[in-house]
Amino acid sequence: MMGGYGDVQLLRDDGLRLDGRKIDEMRPVSIEAGVLPAADGSAMVTHGLNVAVAAVYGPMEAHPRKIQRQDRAVIDVRYNMAPFSTSDRIRPGFNRRSREISKVTAEALESVVLVERYPRSKIRVEIEILAAEAGTRCVGITAAAVALADAGIPMRDLIVGVASGKVEDTVVLDLDKAEDNYGQADLPVGILPNTGEIAFLQMDGDLSPDEFNLAMEYNFKAAKEIHEIMVDALRRRYEGGEA
Amino acid sequence: MAELVPALLRQELARLAEEDNRLDGRGRWEGRDVSLEVDCLYNAEGSAKVVIGGTVVYAGVKFELRTPWPDRPTQGSLMCGAELRPVAGRKYEPGPPSPESIELGRVVDRGIRESGCINMDSLCIVPGEKVWGIMIDIHVLSDQGNIFDACGLAAIAALRTATVPAERFDVGEDHRLEVNGTPIMASFTRVGGRYVLDASEQEELGGDERIHITLGDEGHLHSLQKGLKGVFTPAEFAEIFEVAQQRCVELRKLVAEKEGN
Repeated sequence: MMGGYGDVQLLRDDGLRLDGRKIDEMRPVSIEAGVLPAADGSAMVTHGLNVAVAAVYGPMEAHPRKIQRQDRAVIDVRYNMAPFSTSDRIRPGFNRRSREISKVTAEALESVVLVERYPRSKIRVEIEILAAEAGTRCVGITAAAVALADAGIPMRDLIVGVASGKVEDTVVLDLDKAEDNYGQADLPVGILPNTGEIAFLQMDGDLSPDEFNLAMEYNFKAAKEIHEIMVDALRRRYEGGEA
Repeated sequence: MAELVPALLRQELARLAEEDNRLDGRGRWEGRDVSLEVDCLYNAEGSAKVVIGGTVVYAGVKFELRTPWPDRPTQGSLMCGAELRPVAGRKYEPGPPSPESIELGRVVDRGIRESGCINMDSLCIVPGEKVWGIMIDIHVLSDQGNIFDACGLAAIAALRTATVPAERFDVGEDHRLEVNGTPIMASFTRVGGRYVLDASEQEELGGDERIHITLGDEGHLHSLQKGLKGVFTPAEFAEIFEVAQQRCVELRKLVAEKEGN
């Protein structure tokens, strides 16, 4: 069996992954909508050991005025990792990584929210990562989508954040921390589950065209599963069921 | 809006105060439901989630190895900070730490530090060379009033359930952090002319100054803070101090229950 980077073995001899998952199996996901009373909409997503919380405020007046768009709302996203969310403490505040993730996440959300319904206004989306175990940007996107729906903001579709990648020359779904650190590729995407469109796409590492296609196939399969959990969370929230 | 509403709100709060009532019908010294969860976050060496009414706060404890201060070669360190990020409410803006968040972090920090519950000498690994630095970070996710008590409670609960990650730093075996005491904060806000316990967001908006009291296990004072514009009399303080004693006993019991899990 070939080793990954740094000769860390990521696949067991029985073909399963270190945490016992099959190569196309995602970590367990649970979602709760409406967890933050101060927000207009909110959600908490637990994905493996990741915990992400998203809050939505607005639509509200967009200021300063120069950020206003005459024909649509702007979506202002802040992705932030709590200082205690990682193994080594993170100094509070924005960094280049969180700025970039915030930007591309905002653009993904602007692709699904019916922003033209709210000209000159702003919708604030706050994504806080409380615990990070690889794949936080995807978990953040999923949380943001549920929070937007919870806020009653009209959308063309939900958006599901999922990632596949490559470890030991094998395409696997939903990288965990070790796989992310020592793997060969990571392909996070934001999928619109009903239309099958893609609103968020990043990738780094090394994938052949065939590997890319397989990774995408895994992503779509996972998006379908997560979508059901998202819908269930929203249904529970609005049917006044448990939680 | 923030300037206009309070005038009407203040009238209503004053009227309610005359009837010894509150906006949500609570008694003057009645707190909202408090829920506490510990050990709830992967990667934090100690963690806690506190919900008080609609206020939601997380605290996480991290450790680092550092060189001790030259004049205190055997002492480790403790730092507690709070972040009031825009997630916490409509009124919070992005940007550098606000004076409010700095005050919040420092008031919680003092209560814990001055209670002496952490023996700084117990954080020494190699005198003059290596000591533990403990960092408590408090993350306010939803502010619906009285974030001070929520932050104080989350911080001490996270600290009391923290594990020192010695193995990861290659300095021995992981062990429970030694914490000798459970300092608890009780906060009061002047609403409609008189103090109430555990003010809601609306009461804070239409209220005046606030007083934060942190008490140790023996009922001793470890930290006091008066915030915002307003004055109070010694008699008023004596009254809330009595209430604080009871409140702290109750919340301390809650921490002890969760630790038992």
